[in-house]
Amino acid sequence: MTGEQTQPTVVASLSADAKLLFDQRGAPSFWMRFARNRLALGSLIVILLLCLLAITGPRFYRVDPNYQDYAAINAWPSAAHPLGADSLGRDTLARITKGLRVSLLVAFYVELLNIGVGATLGLLAGYFGGWVDQFISRLADMLFAFPGLLFAILVAAVFGQPVTERFGGIGRLLLVAGSLALVSWPLMARYVRGQTLSLKRRDFITAAYSTGARDRRLIWRHILPNVAGLIVVSATLDVAAVVVNEAVLSLLGLGIQPPDPSIGQMIRQSIDYLETNWSQVFFPSLALTVIVLGFSFLGDGLRDTFDPQRS
Amino acid sequence: MGRLIGRRLLSLIFVIFSITFLTFIVGYLAPGDPILVLMGPRRDPQVYNNLRHLYGLDQPWYQQYLHYVGGLLRGNLGISYRYQNRTVNEILGNGVWVSVQLGGTALLLSLLVGIPAGIFSALRQNSWSDRLNMALMLALFSIPSFVLIPILRAVNFFGLYQHGLPSLPAAGWGRPGNWIMPVLVLAAANVGYIARLMRSSMLEVLAQDYMQTARAKGLTQRRTIYVHGLRNALLPIATVIGPALAFLVTGAFVVESLFAIPGVGFIGVQAIGQRDYPVIQGVTVILAVAVVVMNLITDIVYIFLDPRISTEEES
Repeated sequence: MTGEQTQPTVVASLSADAKLLFDQRGAPSFWMRFARNRLALGSLIVILLLCLLAITGPRFYRVDPNYQDYAAINAWPSAAHPLGADSLGRDTLARITKGLRVSLLVAFYVELLNIGVGATLGLLAGYFGGWVDQFISRLADMLFAFPGLLFAILVAAVFGQPVTERFGGIGRLLLVAGSLALVSWPLMARYVRGQTLSLKRRDFITAAYSTGARDRRLIWRHILPNVAGLIVVSATLDVAAVVVNEAVLSLLGLGIQPPDPSIGQMIRQSIDYLETNWSQVFFPSLALTVIVLGFSFLGDGLRDTFDPQRS
Repeated sequence: MGRLIGRRLLSLIFVIFSITFLTFIVGYLAPGDPILVLMGPRRDPQVYNNLRHLYGLDQPWYQQYLHYVGGLLRGNLGISYRYQNRTVNEILGNGVWVSVQLGGTALLLSLLVGIPAGIFSALRQNSWSDRLNMALMLALFSIPSFVLIPILRAVNFFGLYQHGLPSLPAAGWGRPGNWIMPVLVLAAANVGYIARLMRSSMLEVLAQDYMQTARAKGLTQRRTIYVHGLRNALLPIATVIGPALAFLVTGAFVVESLFAIPGVGFIGVQAIGQRDYPVIQGVTVILAVAVVVMNLITDIVYIFLDPRISTEEES
């Protein structure tokens, strides 16, 4: 479920063809190289459209996602409810739009933390070594001790209700993002640390150091630009995992609280009505699958663009 | 070899400390006074103090932690906040066995399907059947369990039940039919994962010199692949047990609660609803320690299976 292993052969063969093309034409820009990967470009467009839908959707489709239309309980798609309605008669399109917003917001906050905390700590650990490295690496190891989502489940379970009582829905959303970031930053830190360590041994760093560059300059001007690609690629691939994980937390009752919608909760609630109306579990599952695949393909495309020698 | 195993055991102590300490701290930092919640509308200071003492909450945090670890070492997970007369051990009781059965069967199934699927693909590298197989494995690996469940249930209902064919129960536990869907769902991601790994491991072995030697000696294709190749290709599969178990743990929560199976995941989700922290902590510690111990066992078995490991790491 983590995006890391998901490198479809399709992507590899597409980019291999593309590479032949641009080797003959000199050095095309980053975006030109990226755009040659149709699958990744298509995924980027789909993701942007989904973001647009999540942000502006409620302005155009003015239906209250929590309004119960008792005449439309478990309704199939119709003119009144384009994607049908759930077991409480709530409009599925409006709920998916709102749920999409939750998924994407949580993913955004998680990656913000992942980059702000995970990548930064990894960079510091790799660059300074010694006790800084020891401290950060042991901290990451402590969190690695918990398999999968277990620690996130524990944190969200214990702090969920008090946080919601004190800070409301936004607090809950941030708690979900925080607990998911808790299990994903160690991996980011480990990747960045490894890359920084190998960069530090390269000649251009020694050369820069010998010209009198300070730590700050070495990190900002020499190391960071070289790990940026790795950070962007891992963060993008991680979004796919985070969206699934957020859905798992919602499904277990740890995410956004009812009646506010989230994709995981919608699947949980509609699964019991599968036999009478399968469309209600189908649409949220489809939305989730599209996001997950989109971010996986985008991440793979970015990896090929940043690092053409690989694969 | 002895030093390597010793080092693994030392790291086990650190890992178990991490698990218990972080689990304890999360519960300790939980806002609100559990005793007040437990007492409800009653407000008797004497009872309050007695209960605080019973749960050890009148001690400083480090003593509480030592007390907690001391209990864990004796196999005692504490007392439920929700049911004062029940220990966490009693509440989890049968759930552990249910989850072990479910997870064990799923792991076994994923090895039994994943390994042959990987070999199948490796022997037909880059043919259409390899690509089709790998695409299927990628799908199994990446479709989340809670999307797989409605798909299976729909197939079961619309494909079997509605045509009067024998079908599976949608939820519950106890009858043999209850096993099939949950085990399939739990195994799916690992089948995909193991098959992809087995394929690359097999391909690597097939390219080795000793395989060519075996062929040059005139051994049959079958003997070369299954005796010389498979034994070496299977070695790295021991390392997938760790990640596979991590999948199973997260999967157990989803699968057990969606199929209403009374395992530890299901009990944990119920405890979450009741804010019964000692039970939630108990579930966390049991699952995490189980995975760590299984990992240690596979690590040690791996050291015995592959002598290269110990010479590599000690040099």
